[in-house]
Amino acid sequence: MKLKSIAALTFAWSSLFLAETGIAQQAQIQTNTQTLIITSPTLKAGEPVPTIHTPDGRNESPALRWNSVAEAKSFAVLCEDPDVGNPPPFVHWIVYNIPGTATALPAALPIDNSMPSELQGAVQGLSGFRRAIYRGPAPPPGKVHQYHFIVYALDTTITIDSAQPPLTRAQLLEAMQGHVVGKGELIATYERRK
Amino acid sequence: MSESNQITRRHLLQGATLAGVAVVAPVATRINAAETEAKHAKPAKTEVTQRSVPREAFEVLTATESDLLAAIVERLIPSDANGPGAKEARVAHYIDRALGSALSASRNVYASGLAALDRYAVASRGKPFLQLSPTDQDSVLIDCETGGATGFVGSSAQFFGLLLSHTKQGMFGDPYYGGNANFVGWDLLNYPGVRTSISDADQKALEAKTLKPIRRSAYDYNGFNKATASADGHDDHPDDIQRTAGAHHGD
Repeated sequence: MKLKSIAALTFAWSSLFLAETGIAQQAQIQTNTQTLIITSPTLKAGEPVPTIHTPDGRNESPALRWNSVAEAKSFAVLCEDPDVGNPPPFVHWIVYNIPGTATALPAALPIDNSMPSELQGAVQGLSGFRRAIYRGPAPPPGKVHQYHFIVYALDTTITIDSAQPPLTRAQLLEAMQGHVVGKGELIATYERRK
Repeated sequence: MSESNQITRRHLLQGATLAGVAVVAPVATRINAAETEAKHAKPAKTEVTQRSVPREAFEVLTATESDLLAAIVERLIPSDANGPGAKEARVAHYIDRALGSALSASRNVYASGLAALDRYAVASRGKPFLQLSPTDQDSVLIDCETGGATGFVGSSAQFFGLLLSHTKQGMFGDPYYGGNANFVGWDLLNYPGVRTSISDADQKALEAKTLKPIRRSAYDYNGFNKATASADGHDDHPDDIQRTAGAHHGD
């Protein structure tokens, strides 16, 4: 009985830890999700992220494009580095509640709370830097890192509590559970020289 | 903090500066200005500004360093609708003065850190920090804060952390030390001021938010002076009392 209690407690703590940290957390993909094709005028799959999207340049967010999804009420975009983070991935960028009619994000989203008119309602979430803006790849020198630019199509919009800070990755993925109707990603790389 | 807000703040500050300059403009300059056609008004104002606002001396930092530091702290705590910011609180002067006394161990860190920050601004944004837009200045500072900026001894985040800590000291510390000029930092926080006793009436007024703040340095009280500060381990500049006398102690 005592062992059972301990085991149950351990399981509960583990579940809480995983939910908080997002170790095992991935957006639950519905079986009939649509594959999104992600393109960018500056990012190319498997190639280095241009320095303009990193702190070695102006550190501006890249433009992204994707195909439309009929059922989409909103889109969410994440940029994450699975090679680092405690726990991985390290999150560089989160945008959610992008209008469901949108098929692109413009480059250089503002670093304040404003949004372009065509993206009204969209919100930038809290990255691993604890800031609600894009900050690009800045890996320690000596190793090539991968950067996953992921776009989710959702059949809902994320409820926003204006009294609370923007969502973290873990909170966003939790809110997206059961609502993903499309997903795609573009993987680029970056390495800093010593 | 939107871009439009930043622009509004800057315009307000620029307007206030020009208004102040107009009051103290030398007579000769004003005569010249009156004789100048409207199309020449802008160059005349520029000339007035240059003549009427002499550089205020810093004690430790070089002119280049002090200009850069002043611009940085003004972005960290900008003047806005909430009230005056680091500029009005004379935060850069607080840091400069402290680098000659209590914070002297950080002098070299500032020399290398400020130089690195400016080099980074040029390398990443194409211009020295002072020539960047407020948005780009903020972006550079965020890169420093997050450790992404390169060229620093150690991490840019370390230097940023030090700078931010000293900025807060200069904004919200006791004016005795040269910052928080005219108590603008305490006003920003609605700090009721240093008090040696609180009456029932004071407490009720505080809770009702009607308590009039006391705007006096702790050093204006007889029981708290340089001797007690030294006993607490403070390292004060020998000229502290003389420098601050009358400058920041208005009620």
